[in-house]
Amino acid sequence: MDIDVTRAQDITVVMPRGDLDMAAADQMRRTLTELVDKGDRKLLIDLELVGYIDSSGMGALVAAMKHARNTGGDLRLCALQDDVRAIFEMTRLIKAVTIHPTRPEALGAWA
Amino acid sequence: MSGAAASGSFTMSSEAEHLGRLRRWLRAELEGLGVDRPTQAALLVAVGELCTNSIRHAYEGHGGQPINVSVQGHEDRLVIEVEDFGRSFDPTRYVEPDLDALPDHGVGLHLVRRIADSVSVDVRRERGTRWTLVKYRPGRATASPGSVDAGAAPAS
Repeated sequence: MDIDVTRAQDITVVMPRGDLDMAAADQMRRTLTELVDKGDRKLLIDLELVGYIDSSGMGALVAAMKHARNTGGDLRLCALQDDVRAIFEMTRLIKAVTIHPTRPEALGAWA
Repeated sequence: MSGAAASGSFTMSSEAEHLGRLRRWLRAELEGLGVDRPTQAALLVAVGELCTNSIRHAYEGHGGQPINVSVQGHEDRLVIEVEDFGRSFDPTRYVEPDLDALPDHGVGLHLVRRIADSVSVDVRRERGTRWTLVKYRPGRATASPGSVDAGAAPAS
């Protein structure tokens, strides 16, 4: 899986491209863990190009969110496709994480 | 009970990188059976979770082992089976996850139960597990979602 990492002020934007399943979850988890360990505190995960997510992919996001919060930061999501949002709604994660409709709105709200 | 309108089957090897190929096949099958897009997406997740469990738990990460998936389309419902030949699923050890604690693993079967209208698991075999998911067509009678009929022979 390709994972783009860019920075906008103090926000680190992580944009995975493709399916976030068992095959990609470990890479995603490692990437996010390393960012938090290096000191990034605001992680924005842009899911615009993720059309599929399963429990492994969500687990990677949850683990990173907890890690970020434990270090005084946070992890937020933006640009969820409808199919992905439907899976989030089957867990409580939808209520525990801040979700923005688009990246610009997320950056504006979190700056 | 109505007869099967159509059926198809697919065998994947127990490596995670084959899950994408499985999803492409399953989506084409469901599309051919007239399943709406949101239901397709949900069933891709449910079947993917069962295959992931087969890779991770039944085969304990060992590749090269078979996972069989079949789809039957009936007038009123879809019947999907997922079968492996590894370590059998033990329904007595299954614990529903505490979603309020935001677990980062162990949520797969919860999703399967949320998505399917009924779930049965056949472990009365020499080896392996066969899951049977039933998803009713819109407007058709449904069973109570969330129940796992452990140990029962799968519906046919």
